[in-house]
Amino acid sequence: MVGTTALSLEGLVAVDADVVRLRRGDLNALSELITRYQNRLYRYLLRMVRQPAEAEDLFQQTWLRVVEKIRSFDASRNFDAWLFTLARNLALDHLRRIRPESLDEPLADSLASETLADRIPRKDETPLDHALAAERRTEIIEAMAALPMTYREVLTLRFEEEMKIEEIAQLTAVPVSTAKSRLQRSLKQLRNALEARHPGGTWQ
Amino acid sequence: MSEHDKVRELLALAAADALTSAEEKQVSEHVRSCIACSNELGAWRPIANELRRLPTPQPSSWLVRATLARAEAKLTEQADHDWNNRVMIFVLSFAWLMTIASWPAFHFLSGRFGSLLGLQFTSTWISFAAFTALGWLAGGVAAVMLAIRVRGERRLA
Repeated sequence: MVGTTALSLEGLVAVDADVVRLRRGDLNALSELITRYQNRLYRYLLRMVRQPAEAEDLFQQTWLRVVEKIRSFDASRNFDAWLFTLARNLALDHLRRIRPESLDEPLADSLASETLADRIPRKDETPLDHALAAERRTEIIEAMAALPMTYREVLTLRFEEEMKIEEIAQLTAVPVSTAKSRLQRSLKQLRNALEARHPGGTWQ
Repeated sequence: MSEHDKVRELLALAAADALTSAEEKQVSEHVRSCIACSNELGAWRPIANELRRLPTPQPSSWLVRATLARAEAKLTEQADHDWNNRVMIFVLSFAWLMTIASWPAFHFLSGRFGSLLGLQFTSTWISFAAFTALGWLAGGVAAVMLAIRVRGERRLA
């Protein structure tokens, strides 16, 4: 992640210069932050709610909430964690309101969209390798989409956001041990789902 | 639970690089001597690797533009709101200052010229209080009317 940072003299903590400028009401800083976080935030929301239209709405709401609350944000804290916490709270509220009975109900009909770059084979890949890799990815995405929300969330935070267990625990407001066991259970359930697609063999 | 079972429980997390250093050491030492666990770890690795390589869905440029426009409008609205608050604080402070400062002036004028004009201000302070209350009441009504108008304009916008 590329971002402009400055050093806070008080706490010797790297402070995001764009965040500081946004706190002063700088419109350019807002544009910089949205550009910087757009893919990560949208991916996280899409993994949470699974429906692109809902993820788009929550994406907008999250940035409006950022503008609303930015003055109460301590600039020496981690902006990433704060942003994802806002997004998470909005997504959970949305799920409770729209599908309260199915917060953890599997739903397999929506997949993450592929980018054009994902469809281009890498140099070291034959077309067959590429086709197989694409199939594996599709299987993973489908299996992941069918997992309960808490499992999808922990998987995306660990593998896509590359957060540490401690960071996941902080964001999801659970003890580290809970975050860890959640990750373990989500992987097991994902593997079971993948292996169920290939009876008699393991998923490779 | 045997060492083998304990390590087996940790293999999924090992593939996810989510173990403590002590657990990592425990797993690597066990896996070196246990073919079953080594194979099991080998089965977890491709799943973890594929999860790390999932395509990143991207928001449309329309969504980003719309978000930016809405967020900027909100930011501008907040800036206007802050400005209005600052102006209101200034006006209120000024009004109080004038109210306090007008008391000696009122007292002086009512004493000096009131007697010349034949006016009897036996209860000067009551007159002053009535005058102040009337002034503040007029100011309050004007502020409420202005707020209603601004709210109406915002609703239409």
